[in-house]
Amino acid sequence: MAELQSEAGEVRLSRSIPSPPPAPRRRRGLSRSNLTALGFMAPAGVLVLLFFIIPVLLITFLSMTDLSHANFTTDLAQMNFVGLANFQRLLNDQFVGKIFFNTVFYVLFTLSLFNVGLALVISLLTIHIDRRAGFFFRALWILPRITPVIVYILIWRRLVAEAPYGILAQFNSMMGQPTPNLLAEMPWVVVILVNGFVGASFGMIIFTSAIESIPKDLMNASLVDGSTMMQRIRYVILPLLRWPLLFVITYQTLSLLTSFEQILVLTNGGPGLYRTEVWALSAYHRALSTYFGNAQWGYGSAFALVLVVVGVVMAVIYMRVFRFGELVGEPKIEDLE
Amino acid sequence: MKRFSLTLTVLCLIVGAFGLAPVAAQDAVDITIRCKASPPEEDWRCNNFAEVEEQVEAALGIQINLNLVQDNIDWGDYKNEFVLSSEAGTPVDIILSGHEDIGAWAAAGIIMPLSQEMIDAHPEFADLVPNLWESVMYDGQIYGIPQDAEARPIFYSKLLLRDLGWSEEEIESLPDRVTSGEFTFEDMMDTAEQAVEEGVVEEGNGFWHRNGNGPDFLYYYYGMGGEVENEEGKMVFDQAAALRVYELFDELVERGITRSDMIGLDGNTIINPAIASAEEVLFNAGGTWNWPNWAINYIADRGGNDYLVENMGLTLIPAMDTGEAITLTHPLVYMISSQSENPDVALALIAAVTTPEANNRHAIDSFHLGILQSQLESEDYLNNPQISGAHYMLDHTTALPNNPNWGSWSEAYYTGIQAVENQDLEPEAALETVVQQLQNELGDNVVIQ
Repeated sequence: MAELQSEAGEVRLSRSIPSPPPAPRRRRGLSRSNLTALGFMAPAGVLVLLFFIIPVLLITFLSMTDLSHANFTTDLAQMNFVGLANFQRLLNDQFVGKIFFNTVFYVLFTLSLFNVGLALVISLLTIHIDRRAGFFFRALWILPRITPVIVYILIWRRLVAEAPYGILAQFNSMMGQPTPNLLAEMPWVVVILVNGFVGASFGMIIFTSAIESIPKDLMNASLVDGSTMMQRIRYVILPLLRWPLLFVITYQTLSLLTSFEQILVLTNGGPGLYRTEVWALSAYHRALSTYFGNAQWGYGSAFALVLVVVGVVMAVIYMRVFRFGELVGEPKIEDLE
Repeated sequence: MKRFSLTLTVLCLIVGAFGLAPVAAQDAVDITIRCKASPPEEDWRCNNFAEVEEQVEAALGIQINLNLVQDNIDWGDYKNEFVLSSEAGTPVDIILSGHEDIGAWAAAGIIMPLSQEMIDAHPEFADLVPNLWESVMYDGQIYGIPQDAEARPIFYSKLLLRDLGWSEEEIESLPDRVTSGEFTFEDMMDTAEQAVEEGVVEEGNGFWHRNGNGPDFLYYYYGMGGEVENEEGKMVFDQAAALRVYELFDELVERGITRSDMIGLDGNTIINPAIASAEEVLFNAGGTWNWPNWAINYIADRGGNDYLVENMGLTLIPAMDTGEAITLTHPLVYMISSQSENPDVALALIAAVTTPEANNRHAIDSFHLGILQSQLESEDYLNNPQISGAHYMLDHTTALPNNPNWGSWSEAYYTGIQAVENQDLEPEAALETVVQQLQNELGDNVVIQ
């Protein structure tokens, strides 16, 4: 990270050497600079436009219609505009509170325990052991992410099923312990473990590369000062991980908010009454998937739109908390020149 | 010379292709048919069309390019696929789906009404069991042709009943006693409870049912005296009947007869092996099609069908509050897309598979019940003891309504069952929850009574 800052500083330095240009020239310079910047941003901008802005506009429109399988049409003029009726219906839905708190619970625990917590622990541990062994262990942790979801969930289902079908139950059985169906007994534990094991690898890669890019002179200086490993982590490594932490927390929060495929295949929101139903899964259930195919695209879009708003608000809050402006601002070193 | 011959051959092929193509294109008709089927026992749902293709081609004097698309994806995805492809302008010509879809799909205009003239043009349809026509009616018009019918019975383990001390006579007479109303649902629960108490089955294995939403749960509601649709065609929710259903599911768990995690339990790894063995579960509410699935996929090593015949029996759903034993039939029907360019050819193909020969292939392999009057008297049908022995169930059957709001009604009603069985809510609270959900989702489209 420090190297990045240093590079950014050099770029700014070369741009700031000439004396102040006359006004017209500055406008031309600014204009060219803006075009260059826009050119660099264009690919990402197009992607954001195609895969975020336009879909958001579409679901905003759909959320104000009563589009369902019984009156489905792709002709916008024929769709019944119902204003905010879907949102009113959503607020009146007695399970919305439960689904909301399920989502908060799921995101909070998966994020803190695994996507950030475990990821950081794995990074720190594997950095401090033999390099090859560290690489091997990190590769192992990537396995859940690269395994197809269905295969991964089937493995878990076999792992936690009751005796004689479940692997854990077989061990418990040998030791004379109860062999319950863990998915029914403790669904949240299984859901969080399943998602956490996938999520941890993302943070692990980011944190590991960030730690490895910390200038050696900083680490050496702390060693010369007689710091212990824990002190190095506390006073050198963690303070320099603020940017990767912001990125992982923001990205993974949004990712967890919208992910539901593992829960869909694992519990489908059950057992019982919406026990593990999260917001994104609920939007999917309402818009696309019921046993009798009574898809309610309008109502499902209202659910999805709420998720978009929550996601954007969360991203803004994170940026404020982590002082994103300072992180991407011009380097302080520039002031010396 | 060699080069000249080669050039001549290529030229002839090109000229031939261009010359013949218009002729072939004139008489060739593309027909795509979409089926959902559990392999291998239900494969005839689509494969029957391949069997009759040449016959229809000869009868109509055309060439049919038949495209059969068959798999076993979830019903919800399957139905969405048809709705979305219809709006995209690329639907299949014939879709096989549950009759209850007619309510929504006819209302949305994506399936074609079949006029009486179209029906009369094919004598095969006159052979259909008359009461099956009701399942394909919407707003006074016919929208589909039944493909199969089934019964949803209670399977009982003869092995475990013997362990419980039942005599052979008692076991063999059980279906008759259920039909007459002598052996009720309450009696079945008592027997299951006794089996648990005496250690014949483990706690929770006295009575099992399906592990997710589906048509089955409606027969409990019917059995408690509920109605789903009034004379005006509006969905009805009978609170008294629904409360009795929720009390029943609560009681099943409270008494240790049914597992509280029954809903969501894995079908392939837990439910089917346990039931098919006839050694673990005493009573199970299933469907006739389960039988060949178990025989082929779960107990083939023990003798398959012979093992089931020896150790398992099936009865109607024993009488509940109404005092009458019932079952539920959920006919799958062939429907023709309103965008099909060749509806006459599509209907001719459907007529060609609506014969005793074709339907027996499907019925016998998959343990579905006959849909044609002549089929019921055919040798193949009568010689199959399971099918002919279960056919009487159609005299006691009920069905789902063809109503566009059925899906939402069903989801809400099922939520209550989930809630009480998993002990999340008491029956009264579940009822309150369901009523609120129905009012929120259906508003004026449901009558709460």
